[in-house]
Amino acid sequence: MLNLTERQWVKHTVFHVFEGFDDLKWKKQGSVKISFIILALFFFGVIADGRLYGYQFRFPDDKIFNIVPYFVKSVVLFIVWVVGNRAVCSVLDGEGSMKKIWIYCSYALIPYISQLYINVVLSHILVQDEYIFMLIIKIIGTLWTGILLLSAVKAVHGFSLAKTLFAVLLTLAAMFIILFLLILLLSLIQQIYVFVYSVFSEISYRIKV
Amino acid sequence: MRKIFAITSLVILTAVFSFQTFCFTAFADEPYDVYNYDSNGSAIPSQAGYTAEKSVSGNSLGISDFSSPNDIFVDADGAVYITDTNNNRIVVLNSELDTVTDIYDTFRYSDGSETTLSKPMGIYISDERDMIYIADSENSRVLIADSECNVISEIKKPESVIYTQNTFNPLKVLSDNAGNVYVALGNITSGAAMFSPSNEFLGFYGANRVDSAPETIDTFMKKLFSTDKKKARQERNIPSAITNFDIDEKGFIYTCTQSVSQYTDILKKINSAGKNIFADKEVQYGDITPVYDSSENTYYHTKITDIDISSGGYINCLDLTTGRIFQYDEECNLLFIMGTKAKQTGGFSNQVTAIESFGDMLYVADGMKNTVTVFRKTQFGKTVHKAISLYNDGLYEEALEPWYEVLRYDGNYRMAHLGISVALLRKNDYEGAMKYAELARSSYYYNKAFEGLRNEFLKKNFPLIIFALITIPSLIFAIKKLRKTHRKRS
Repeated sequence: MLNLTERQWVKHTVFHVFEGFDDLKWKKQGSVKISFIILALFFFGVIADGRLYGYQFRFPDDKIFNIVPYFVKSVVLFIVWVVGNRAVCSVLDGEGSMKKIWIYCSYALIPYISQLYINVVLSHILVQDEYIFMLIIKIIGTLWTGILLLSAVKAVHGFSLAKTLFAVLLTLAAMFIILFLLILLLSLIQQIYVFVYSVFSEISYRIKV
Repeated sequence: MRKIFAITSLVILTAVFSFQTFCFTAFADEPYDVYNYDSNGSAIPSQAGYTAEKSVSGNSLGISDFSSPNDIFVDADGAVYITDTNNNRIVVLNSELDTVTDIYDTFRYSDGSETTLSKPMGIYISDERDMIYIADSENSRVLIADSECNVISEIKKPESVIYTQNTFNPLKVLSDNAGNVYVALGNITSGAAMFSPSNEFLGFYGANRVDSAPETIDTFMKKLFSTDKKKARQERNIPSAITNFDIDEKGFIYTCTQSVSQYTDILKKINSAGKNIFADKEVQYGDITPVYDSSENTYYHTKITDIDISSGGYINCLDLTTGRIFQYDEECNLLFIMGTKAKQTGGFSNQVTAIESFGDMLYVADGMKNTVTVFRKTQFGKTVHKAISLYNDGLYEEALEPWYEVLRYDGNYRMAHLGISVALLRKNDYEGAMKYAELARSSYYYNKAFEGLRNEFLKKNFPLIIFALITIPSLIFAIKKLRKTHRKRS
């Protein structure tokens, strides 16, 4: 019963929206390697979505390609989600470990990532009047991933549905706090750097004189 | 042999010489960096559409110096009328600004008594009626006279219930084809006062709308918690008064508003019903990004102080803060930017007051330098105007050649990219249209060109596509089936 390879497990979880992750947990499956591949695909998908769209839909916002915003929008966001979820759910008596949350949530991203690539390709084939098709694909992909994420959180922690929704809300709040602290930390580090640098240059001038 | 050598060397020498002089005239330098905005809204270097030719003062014309000239008007024959505000006179010059043809300072009533001007701020000449309208601000009247200085009538403070102001301080004046007189007044936010040909007060015309401030959390909270008493004491939202106006050949009145706080209705084109035709134009007039001045460590925001509509329908806006002139076409596409704050010719003080155009020339009055500067259209300017007027008339294909010529002058000119894209689209050259639409970053025209290209492709390859659509899935299906049977057997 359900003796699947790693790749077949990915397919199983994506297409069995409600019980796929429960099966995954029951069989103690899930591969870190595949989750990293999915994350890389997510990263490149977000870049493609931002830069490679057909010009009949939109032009890239800026002339100079900067990779940092895309990295934040994909990888950093995912890491923050996982960390936030782990933090919140360990308080709520969730069973999931960090590794499991990471793997399950990355599997759940697959419909959204496919939607990104499909739409980038379609944007070079369709014209503005036919945008509705791309919109439908986008909505389906996003909703699918949303439901999969809920079901992943539910399965990995062994929650009821109501508790899962509550946990997700708390996770979103936790993500905001983490991002806020990150920004704070970055600006603080920058100021420390400026301070150290000015002290260093001051001393080096004194030594010269 | 020696003769041939001498002749050839002579020819080469003259060629080099004439080339040098050619270069010298071709690259006339402006005292400022000429720039334009690209589709991203960032400033990029461009070619000068107008070049500052000379600036004249009263002294150089052989009369006493101007003293803060506030308005210029050019009539149909090219006579330039300058209101020399603090000298209480109107100076009339020829269009080249080298001779004074007339000076108006005293006017005669029909009974023989005389009247003088006091701080005249604005002037308008109606050619068909041979009338001069002068906004005589300190005398609180609009003086209407003929060209022989005989007073025809005066417009004074209206005795009307609608006119609630205590003062009547006319700053600018103009009249339309029907003879109605419009007066821009100081301290009045309800628009320009409008008078009938018989000088009756008709009401106000062309008021600005109140800035639609976005509803922030702050305003929302204030609305929630403030009592009626508090609300009554709150500051009312009042639009800025219109600063200046001009009328074009078709009778549309354009107004401009010089304000730091106002963002809507900076520039309006009003029809005779008082409706603003530019209301839905989402154009930011003047400098798109605030100009940073490192010497004074401040940012300058555009304040449009005067507006002029030249004969081709081009809109010239004069910016008070930076001394720049922004020229737009009738569809509000930015064409040229010229002028700056500087001491040289072509630069202004921070008191530019008026702009006016005639033929290839632009006249700009400076109220602190007390000069009038003449800008003349360059070859580049002429080419752009030729192209844009064809383009705006819908003659896209005829505009193609001039647009290519514009690109030879300035390879970054966005309107040229757009114009070429539209023209090529008309000629069914879809790939070319896509290329230029991409350069102009216009999704709209890129989409149209792409649709044309796709239709062409589909038409050409329709049988092949249908064939592929049928065969490829069936092939895949067949291979799968074969594999299955193969597996079963093994």
